[in-house]
Amino acid sequence: MPEIRLENITKRFGKSVAVDNLTMTINDGEFISLLGPSGCGKTTTLRMIAGLETPTEGEIFIDDVCVFSSKTGIDISPDKRNVGFLFQNYALWPHMTVYKNISFGLENMKWNKKKIEERVVELVKMLKIEEYLDRYPSELSGGQQQRVAIARTLSTGPKILFMDEPLSNLDAKLRMEMRTELKRLHLETSSTFVYVTHDQLEAMTLSTKICLLKEGLLQQYQPPLSVYRDPSNFFVADFVGSPNINIIEMIGNVVNVDEVKLVNPSLSLLFTPTSKVVSISENQQLLLGIRPEDIVIDESGEFEAEVYSTLPSGMETIVKIKINDIILTSVVFGDVDFEIGKKVKISFPKNKYLLFDKESELQLSNGKLS
Amino acid sequence: MTYRNRLKMYFKKPHNIILTLLFVILLYLTIVPMITIIIDTFTVHQSELMRIKGSKVGSFTLYHWSKVLFSSLSAKMFYQPLLNTIVVALGTCFVAILIGGTVAWLITRTDMKYKTIISTLFIFPYIMPSWTLAMAWLNFFKNPLVGGAPGLFTVLTNIETPNWFAYGQFPIIMVLGLHYAPFAYILIGGILRNMDANLEEAALLMKASRARIMRKITIPIVLPALLSTFLLVFSSAMSAFAVPAFLGTPVRYQVLTTQMFRTLNGLNPGYGYIMALVMIIIGVLILAMNQKIIGKRKAFTTITGKSSNISLIKLRKGKVFISLFVLISTLLICIVPLISFAVESFIVEPGNYSLSNFSSVFWIGSGSPEIANGEPGILRNPSILLGLINSVKLAVVVSLVAGTVGILAGYAISKSRGTKLSSIVNNLAFFPYLMPSMAFGAIYLSMFAVRRGFIPPMYGTFALLVLVGSVKYLPFASRASIGAMHQLSGEIEEAATIQGIPWIKRMIKIIVPIQKASFISGYLLPFISCMRELSLFILLVTPATRILTTMLFQYNEKGWSQYANAINLLIVFFVVGSNVIVNRVTGASIDKGIGGN
Repeated sequence: MPEIRLENITKRFGKSVAVDNLTMTINDGEFISLLGPSGCGKTTTLRMIAGLETPTEGEIFIDDVCVFSSKTGIDISPDKRNVGFLFQNYALWPHMTVYKNISFGLENMKWNKKKIEERVVELVKMLKIEEYLDRYPSELSGGQQQRVAIARTLSTGPKILFMDEPLSNLDAKLRMEMRTELKRLHLETSSTFVYVTHDQLEAMTLSTKICLLKEGLLQQYQPPLSVYRDPSNFFVADFVGSPNINIIEMIGNVVNVDEVKLVNPSLSLLFTPTSKVVSISENQQLLLGIRPEDIVIDESGEFEAEVYSTLPSGMETIVKIKINDIILTSVVFGDVDFEIGKKVKISFPKNKYLLFDKESELQLSNGKLS
Repeated sequence: MTYRNRLKMYFKKPHNIILTLLFVILLYLTIVPMITIIIDTFTVHQSELMRIKGSKVGSFTLYHWSKVLFSSLSAKMFYQPLLNTIVVALGTCFVAILIGGTVAWLITRTDMKYKTIISTLFIFPYIMPSWTLAMAWLNFFKNPLVGGAPGLFTVLTNIETPNWFAYGQFPIIMVLGLHYAPFAYILIGGILRNMDANLEEAALLMKASRARIMRKITIPIVLPALLSTFLLVFSSAMSAFAVPAFLGTPVRYQVLTTQMFRTLNGLNPGYGYIMALVMIIIGVLILAMNQKIIGKRKAFTTITGKSSNISLIKLRKGKVFISLFVLISTLLICIVPLISFAVESFIVEPGNYSLSNFSSVFWIGSGSPEIANGEPGILRNPSILLGLINSVKLAVVVSLVAGTVGILAGYAISKSRGTKLSSIVNNLAFFPYLMPSMAFGAIYLSMFAVRRGFIPPMYGTFALLVLVGSVKYLPFASRASIGAMHQLSGEIEEAATIQGIPWIKRMIKIIVPIQKASFISGYLLPFISCMRELSLFILLVTPATRILTTMLFQYNEKGWSQYANAINLLIVFFVVGSNVIVNRVTGASIDKGIGGN
């Protein structure tokens, strides 16, 4: 059972640290997304596991076999790690036909001609590119090239598949389609997928677990919905979710033993923690995080607000509302629109609001608002 | 719109004026000479009157063609040199691409040490005049069999070098190959650097061996560039004159250029013009092939993704050995020739390297009758001083003319991109690049020896040297400029046009400053090429207009190798020095101009 284990992996380029003391385990059959803003070290991490890049420090195990260790000097070359790699720009060989591109890896494994042909046919059928077998990559569209690249990567049947932003060169519609297919592919091949992306939506929708990195440091490594609902810090909360989470700066004081009284010039709320015990000092500066869908606009709301602007898209409408001096983003589902400047009532009836310490940016607790 | 208004509108745009002017001038300076040279192959010249019985100067004759192609002399005079030329050119390509390609691969793809110093030094042989290595070869390996003193190698080891090793085909190929290896290095290195490393990594992950990746992925992908390099080196090697003249003459090994020099300078200019024409035709064919290959390469361009991520191949155990080997050989090729020139220029009696034989007489001596007909040392020699002044003057004027015209040409060509006139001018401006230098000199000799319309006979004037040099090196400048202009979006100039800023100011204040580095290399390349040019000028100089390179050639022919060595050192010093200075001051460099990155 292939399981990938990184232990204290650090990679430095000159003086800059690309990956900083990363430890993580990727279990067999998972679909892991390495997520983060550009330059956070996600591609470097992927390339280190694949063996295309050499870590400065640490150890990497694949299937309990040490493939890299800075201590013992083990460094198994990429071709012996039994992994597949899907490049961002596909890296199709321009001088080979689709058929040759796919069969190349099988030839390297000294398969006989007939077996190779069977395998290629099987793959092109699966990826619906049968009619392009004799074409050159330059004669294919982006989406078709993408499929050829996937077929080529799958040809040798790797148990671990690495993908480096494979969808970023496609247009929005194709990207949507390929996402669906990648997810199906993950099920059909029952391989382990490690996927690099800077698109939080891609990571959310595809993966079984998200590994969020910032400046080379691991921020959180959990299933998508946990990352969404229980972010470890302000950065994670802010990075995941679209439209972005609302963040309100507040001064907090403990009241009634375990509740927190939140005050700022425009708003005052009572926060009841539901996941952890919150201990704060007097008048501590805090950040309150409210997901747009957790603001409800209706007649029964308890706060007065004004519609600031609206972005209706048919399925949902993003409504910016103004409470005194604060502007919040909310989402209303369905084909509704609001008149700008109209007075509305809002409320915070859910139990998934987030409290962060402003200084350390760490999450303190989930909770209710009243 | 009336025809007149349309014309008026057309010429309101500065780039259209430039384009039209360039079209007329380049047509006159490249195509018309071609026609005169063709006519010359059918005409009787003054010196041929004796041979062609009953003819008058200027009358039509088929004598030259029949003699060159279909007579008992043809084999020796034309076919053998043609064959030699082809063999030399092919051999040069092989050596240059093998060495240049290997170094390019080592530098871009492996973890070899000393990369910076090697990549700097490796360009040197290309910056230095081509005969530098030829002279060094002679200094080291010449043998007394042909006459004269033995070389350093023989003196040090007591082994007499065989003729095939010291003179003729083998050393010519080796020397030209080493001279053009940097050229191949720059072109192939550029491609390797731009080639998406992911293509190789993908193959590696597919369990292909290093050798198989090389054979199946890397080489096929760089093949078009390799072919293009091959063709460019071939055409350069074919038109080389100095190296075959230095190394081939002692054993009467002739190539087309040396044969052309003999006939044009001798009694049969008609023969020479035919050889020039043959070389031009081969040159044009090569361009056509190159264009076709480059055209195809478009389909081969690969989107470069994260090529900064190239993972270098570990040479492992071979690392130290390979690194040192490449470093030492590069040093040998760059430095040792210079030392040998210095040594040779201080030796009174050639071949005697004992300390008592050293003397500074060839540098600062006042000249005594027993040494070289009383020629004074080169630092006090008025005729050498004149040559030096002429050389520098010529190089400066040529680089100013070629560079400026090149900038304007690049500007006009890229501004009116897509029009027919633009592509015609583009090709006309590139045409001189393909012309073998000596053939080009021959053309101008034939064209401007007599009065042409309002242009007086120019043979023997400095202006003719400037003209031929400027046209010949225009391609360097126009290429650099077109490349620079293509990178500049049109809006940058338009933003100024809208504010009513006049054209001259737009050029000087906006366009030139932005692309300074490219434009300066457009000036630098003609300067350096001109400083070290021999074959282009050798047919055109007269004693009054002599330049350093032609003097070097004459001294060498006379056998005064000390003077030749000293002058060569002077030229190398000037060329390398100016390159280093310009590079330091402006960041422009010679490799930028010929397609490197």
